[in-house]
Amino acid sequence: MKATTAQTCWVRPCTRIWLLLMALSYVTYLVGVSAIEGLWAALLVLGFAVLKGQLIGDFYMGLRWVRGPWRWVIVLWLVIPGALITTAFLLAARGSG
Amino acid sequence: MQYKSQAVAKPYFIAAIGLFVGQILFGLIIGLQYVVGDFLFPEIPFNVGRMVHTNLLIVWLLFGFMGAAYYMVPEESERELVAPWLAHLMFWIFLVAGALTVLGYLMVPYAKLAELTQNTVLPTMGREFLEQPTITKIGIVIVALAFLFNVGLTVLMGRKTVVNLVLLLGLLGLAVFFLFSFYNPDNLVLDKYYWWWVVHLWVEGVWELILGSILAFVLIKTTGVDREVIEKWLYVIIAMTLITGIIGTGHHYYWIGTPEYWQWWGSIFSAMEPIPFFMMTVFAFNMVNRRRRNHPNKAAMLWALGTAVMAFLGAGVWGFLHTLAPVNYYTHGTQITAAHGHMAFYGAYVMINLTIISYAMPLLRGRKAANSERSQVLEMWSFWLMTVAMVFITLFLTGAGVLQVWLQRYTATPQPFMAVQDQIALFYWLREIAGVVFLAGLVTYIASFFVGSKEPEAAAEGASATA
Amino acid sequence: MTYALASAVAPRRYPPGDLAIWIFILAELSVFAAFFAAYAFGRLGQVELFNAYQQTLDRRSALINTLALITGSYFVVRATAAIREDDSRGCFDWLLAALGMGTLFVVLKSAEYAHHLGEGIHLGTNRFYMFYLSLTFFHFMHVLMGMVILAAVALKARRGGYSAAEHTGVETGGAYWHMVDLVWLILFPLVYVMR
Repeated sequence: MKATTAQTCWVRPCTRIWLLLMALSYVTYLVGVSAIEGLWAALLVLGFAVLKGQLIGDFYMGLRWVRGPWRWVIVLWLVIPGALITTAFLLAARGSG
Repeated sequence: MQYKSQAVAKPYFIAAIGLFVGQILFGLIIGLQYVVGDFLFPEIPFNVGRMVHTNLLIVWLLFGFMGAAYYMVPEESERELVAPWLAHLMFWIFLVAGALTVLGYLMVPYAKLAELTQNTVLPTMGREFLEQPTITKIGIVIVALAFLFNVGLTVLMGRKTVVNLVLLLGLLGLAVFFLFSFYNPDNLVLDKYYWWWVVHLWVEGVWELILGSILAFVLIKTTGVDREVIEKWLYVIIAMTLITGIIGTGHHYYWIGTPEYWQWWGSIFSAMEPIPFFMMTVFAFNMVNRRRRNHPNKAAMLWALGTAVMAFLGAGVWGFLHTLAPVNYYTHGTQITAAHGHMAFYGAYVMINLTIISYAMPLLRGRKAANSERSQVLEMWSFWLMTVAMVFITLFLTGAGVLQVWLQRYTATPQPFMAVQDQIALFYWLREIAGVVFLAGLVTYIASFFVGSKEPEAAAEGASATA
Repeated sequence: MTYALASAVAPRRYPPGDLAIWIFILAELSVFAAFFAAYAFGRLGQVELFNAYQQTLDRRSALINTLALITGSYFVVRATAAIREDDSRGCFDWLLAALGMGTLFVVLKSAEYAHHLGEGIHLGTNRFYMFYLSLTFFHFMHVLMGMVILAAVALKARRGGYSAAEHTGVETGGAYWHMVDLVWLILFPLVYVMR
């Protein structure tokens, strides 16, 4: 592809991020269709999701280069619901365990 | 006042205030009847008093909205109203129809009123807030159509501002959803389902558009902040309103016989309904902070800021308190509901009407920008009296509600309704006292139209005050 | 990853695109977050049921949909990069490709729904299906909205309406699309996989 200017220097990294996102999604799928049981698998998959979300927020939505409160909006959106979901699944596992 | 036809707003505002007084008097009557059960019985039974109280509220707010639109639209569209004579005609039709309806409630047993007004031809009577005879409802539709024609055509033929368009959209929605009051299914579940298409989609939907546009208008005029900034905020606020409020209707569908998923949809979406009100508060204070001028109408600015805060507290916070299905399971139909209802209606819709009246009336009465210092001080006193009184009404009703929920529903040994009512009577007495203070505030408010009306206008801050 | 290059992009106080869209994004994300949390806690009472009916979902379609949305986001990033180099035509092409990915999602999701509805599944069938249908349907609506926005931006790009100096519209539309992707990235593992 043609040479990039300083402003678009992050295109190549974004291609790598795309590949990483695809890979993590495929692993998530594999966990889904396999016979793997256990809370750890669910939380691992959730962890992947949070990581993927962070990549999108930082690099695709451009928050990586933002200073100030807006930098953290996606992080918070991933962490807080993520924590709630984790709590709920922990409680579920403890209840039926 | 920039356009002559804005003057048609004046009778609407005067009628609004007059009906407001009626509403409060009846509020005091039924408030007393909570604790002195046979007060004014059988002349004004509780159910009749309540009908008058709620119907007067809605009608005066409608008069206020129409007055607001007649004032705002010519100025925003930068042209005269298309048919001022029609506005005058509709004023009298609406006022007379409203008065006759209220008299009908008071003078004649309700069933007899239904018979007299041929309710059987198209039955629409007998539902809360929609007690009006069918012929009154038809009258309301005619008045609304004429009104929409008038302001709509004016906007279409003039400058289309965001304020104008949002106001018009809200008013159009108001008219369209009112049509559902004519749909009266036999099935009780459907009956209640569609009832909320009038009530919820009004007060938690299109009325918020009206509220937002009036607030934006007053802020543009009094702060001098760039129109683009204010209009962008308005867009975001109404978008949030619609996103949360439309499916948020589901918070009325928890227990009426609709499918269970409404308990989830209603809870999730309605939990977000405070957001637009929070935004309105941030918006109002932000604009005032960034103002480029010190407008002499301090009272109007106080009403504007107060509206945002009280609407957020009454509609947003108090609404949130009982919106989630697991909570609502216990609080449904209790004094918690009444607490929220009073502060929400007052904070959002009473106050926005008083805001626009505060801004526009001086101009309609010939002032350049604002009333005299004396008038404004009295008006601001009335703001505080009414607002603080309403806060106390709400707190007392909340107390009553919490106790009621506990005794009547939550404990292991629930008590019957009337036994619990006896035990929360103290809160009702306190509420009534607060209600009297509210009335004092309203009297002060009316006085502010007369006291100081001969004195010179208040000057903007920083300018030398005239003697 | 060469972060040294990344620092060549000047830091800013506000995210790219119109601030108003970011307020929308926050609002939409909040609603979905509440819904996700409701799903997770709503599952508590009926874990067996949720696990069982989760097995009836088409995970392969969901994977392809995930890959489609991620790729769509990637294409949007390439489109933004293109317009930053004043390449209107390139921008349009990449956005068209993103729309293609969106179309793939819509087709696959519709097929999934057709299958479920054909089996008589609806919002009242059970709590799992209620959440599955609600969450994916709300998301589906947002995919459609995102496609409308991208189409509008693409058309304007094709007409030369954007430049390297002024392309806020592309960033704005792009931000909304990324949000749609973001929501699905949580939805897919949560509803289709986690048990």
